[in-house]
Amino acid sequence: MKFLIQTLATLIGCCIVQYFLPWWTLALVAFAVGYYFNTTGIVSFAAGFIGVGILWLAMAYYIDSSTQSVITSKVSRLFPVNIFMFMVLVGGLVGGFASLSGTLVKGKKMARY
Amino acid sequence: MQYLKVFASVLFTVALVYALNRSWDFGKPIPPLGKFLDPFHGFWKNAERKNRPPEEISLPGLAEEVSIVYDSVLIPHLYAKNEKDLFFAQGYITAKYRLWQMEFQTHAAAGRISEIIGAGAIDFDRGQRRLGMVYASQNSLVEMEKDSTAKMIAHRYSDGVNAYINSLSYEKLPLEYKLLNYWPEPWTPLKSGLLLKYMAKTLNIGDKDFEMTNALKLFGKESLEILYPDNEHVGDPIVDNPNGWKSKPLSIDNVPLALPKDFVQIKPLEQPSSDIGSNNWAVSGSKTASGSPILCNDPHLELNLPSIWYIIHLNAPGYNAMGASLPGAPAVISGFNDSIAWGETNAQRDVVDWFKIEFRDKSKNEYLSDGQWRPAKKVIEKISAKGKADTYDTVIYTHHGPITYDDSYHGDSEKNHYAFRWIAHDPSKELLTFYLLNKAKNHGDYMNALDHYTSPAQNFVFASVNGDIAMRIQGKYPVRRPNEGRFVLDGTKTSNEWQAFIPNNQNIAYKNPSRGFVSSANQYPVDDTYPYYVTATNFEAYRNRRINQVLGNLKSITPQDMMKLQADNFNLKASESLPGWLKMLDSTKFTVEEKTGYQKLKGWDFNNSISSEGASYYEAWLRAIYPMIWDEVVESKISLPAPTAYVTIKLIKEKPGLSFFDIQATVEKETASDVVRKSFSDGVKEIGKWKEEKKLNPEWADFKDSYIQHLARLEPFSYHVKHGGNGSIVNAHNKRNGPSWRMVVSLEKNGVKAWGVYPGGQSGNPGSPYYYNMIEVWTADHYFDLHFNTSATSMRPFALSSSIIKSN
Repeated sequence: MKFLIQTLATLIGCCIVQYFLPWWTLALVAFAVGYYFNTTGIVSFAAGFIGVGILWLAMAYYIDSSTQSVITSKVSRLFPVNIFMFMVLVGGLVGGFASLSGTLVKGKKMARY
Repeated sequence: MQYLKVFASVLFTVALVYALNRSWDFGKPIPPLGKFLDPFHGFWKNAERKNRPPEEISLPGLAEEVSIVYDSVLIPHLYAKNEKDLFFAQGYITAKYRLWQMEFQTHAAAGRISEIIGAGAIDFDRGQRRLGMVYASQNSLVEMEKDSTAKMIAHRYSDGVNAYINSLSYEKLPLEYKLLNYWPEPWTPLKSGLLLKYMAKTLNIGDKDFEMTNALKLFGKESLEILYPDNEHVGDPIVDNPNGWKSKPLSIDNVPLALPKDFVQIKPLEQPSSDIGSNNWAVSGSKTASGSPILCNDPHLELNLPSIWYIIHLNAPGYNAMGASLPGAPAVISGFNDSIAWGETNAQRDVVDWFKIEFRDKSKNEYLSDGQWRPAKKVIEKISAKGKADTYDTVIYTHHGPITYDDSYHGDSEKNHYAFRWIAHDPSKELLTFYLLNKAKNHGDYMNALDHYTSPAQNFVFASVNGDIAMRIQGKYPVRRPNEGRFVLDGTKTSNEWQAFIPNNQNIAYKNPSRGFVSSANQYPVDDTYPYYVTATNFEAYRNRRINQVLGNLKSITPQDMMKLQADNFNLKASESLPGWLKMLDSTKFTVEEKTGYQKLKGWDFNNSISSEGASYYEAWLRAIYPMIWDEVVESKISLPAPTAYVTIKLIKEKPGLSFFDIQATVEKETASDVVRKSFSDGVKEIGKWKEEKKLNPEWADFKDSYIQHLARLEPFSYHVKHGGNGSIVNAHNKRNGPSWRMVVSLEKNGVKAWGVYPGGQSGNPGSPYYYNMIEVWTADHYFDLHFNTSATSMRPFALSSSIIKSN
């Protein structure tokens, strides 16, 4: 349950921030969410990865389907791998590690006090 | 331990973000992946829908509102209340659809491509610097700034482009910038100048002085005139006006040609393809069904994406012009207005010379001129290739122009320095010509507009609603002594230099000829009574004759007839050579494949249509015969000029015993018919190999495999087309070059009607449905109606969308 809420929080938080700010701010959001939710490292990583991954995939899918794949069909040929999967991997890894970092930093603090 | 884990995780996250926020080069350039793939700002945001909602854009710098209506293929119709706003809006709108291309082309002109694509382009960039491209543009800019109108249009256009650049965020940045990870720099009038100089380089740098000098030494005068005549005397010249040249010509002293003692040992820079040319013609009302003149133009250029042309309609009080514009330059270049239409083809004329320079010593600070040592000017060029430390090149300028070739660039000896004299280095203001043509009302205005035109020399066709048709071959041409300009010149004597220029009123021109039409297709320009010596790298021998033949025969011409002629695939070259060649073959010795080839050729109707197999066999034969005959030229260690196809075919017919027909690599002594037979077998073998590899019948469009290439050579943004035609055919579409813009204008009294198409699309964005939507219309030889309504409201029935730009 906590995992689902953390994933959702990452997704919504990143969505809001990304509308206004450059892509890397998603790392800050995922970090903050990871910090706030007191989960284990692996759960936090998964929540960050999946939260960002789903957000990016949904947005990309929306653009792709509303423009008849006009750009995806061309740009995907520049990459040796599927462009959607590759995008999810890139966004997911950043989200996952940022979230994990948040959790670890929080854990450290708790141990100290 | 715990601290270490925290530290490692945070550090890794930061490193990951950093790595994904910058570009990398692992042999292949990698864009900043996080930035690029982010669907909120990255490449996905460049995807566009077919329908576009109306927009209202506020920009600094406009006096009044400008309405823009887009028609169904995204052609913008700009309605401004004054000319200053009009050119601002043209700059803004052109940048909105073509910014990346505009900047890429001007970077190419200035020799800065390696900044974008890396060290591989350094040799090209150095060449551009050594041809003095920026120097040429600066000279023109100074001249332009002196003229208040030219200055206004260049600056207002530039302001408009910058207004667009300033409105950009990463999200809105054109796709190629995201991919190659850079940002546009501010636009300047100098860049518009660079673009025109780039056109001058494409069209007017044609030159074979080095090669001809070597050929003269190697083959002698007599062979030279046989292989490389100035005038092939084929067909009608563009202007045929025997004994009609009444003005007294300028005369200059004759000097004997002094040729260098040694062969010229340089590797000349790549020349533009000889298939870059164009067609234009105008028929008078006496020959048309409507009784009004019809004007047609199709410039043949290398076909790329985004396309070289951008269709635009410019409207303001006193200004109403439409047609093809060059992204990066204000006004319409080939088009029409309410009263007239005009178009260009390349004049081919030689406006380039090379002077051999003698330096005093190795320091190259002084060079010899009429017995005096003159100081040379050294310009240090900095080349900042992407991912590489800056490199420097010193370009030495003489009073002739820059030294292009020396021991450090494409030359192999410290003794050889060649300075480049080029008409495009001279001050000029071509923009004013196009502005005046856009506003011209009659033949007088057209003549006045052309008086300001220097380079690249063009055949300007003209027709008016009043019923006039005309042709003028405009440019700035040196008065040449016979044979001057064909060979490298001795740069130590000023008597070898250009002494005078042909006055504008003595340039080749005529109006309303009795045959009822004017036409040009890059052929020899004038009859033998013209009092000036004319030379060029090459003149066209086939297209022009086919056009004149068809136009001569046609009566009651309709615009549809003209479209049919622009798409004409008749191969005059084949019809003149093939029957004779087929007779030379020995059918008793054919292999099975040769028998098939023979039959395909025998049954061929000489049309290079999409599905013709005869056309493929003929082409394969030509490709085999040419290097077999000219092995002396092709395999030579020194640079030699290539004889034309016309000369080759003529010699096979008329001088079959000529020593050049002997194949050097064999012991036997071959004649023309031996070469014809051998090359037939080789050609058929080539077709056989092709069939094997492709598993297809050799239909012409497949065999030709025409390709429209993205400017950065990105395969997924390029396009393979199936289309007929070839070089030397009216539909001059070979593998890479072809009709880059087709226009037909009927100058009717109750309103000018026009049609146009080009192989590309109005949007330069590969993520737009309008990126290459016109290509298939173009290959089907169809056209779009160019709606020419004088107000935004009357355009409404044809509108896809509209927008308003106003001052904020």
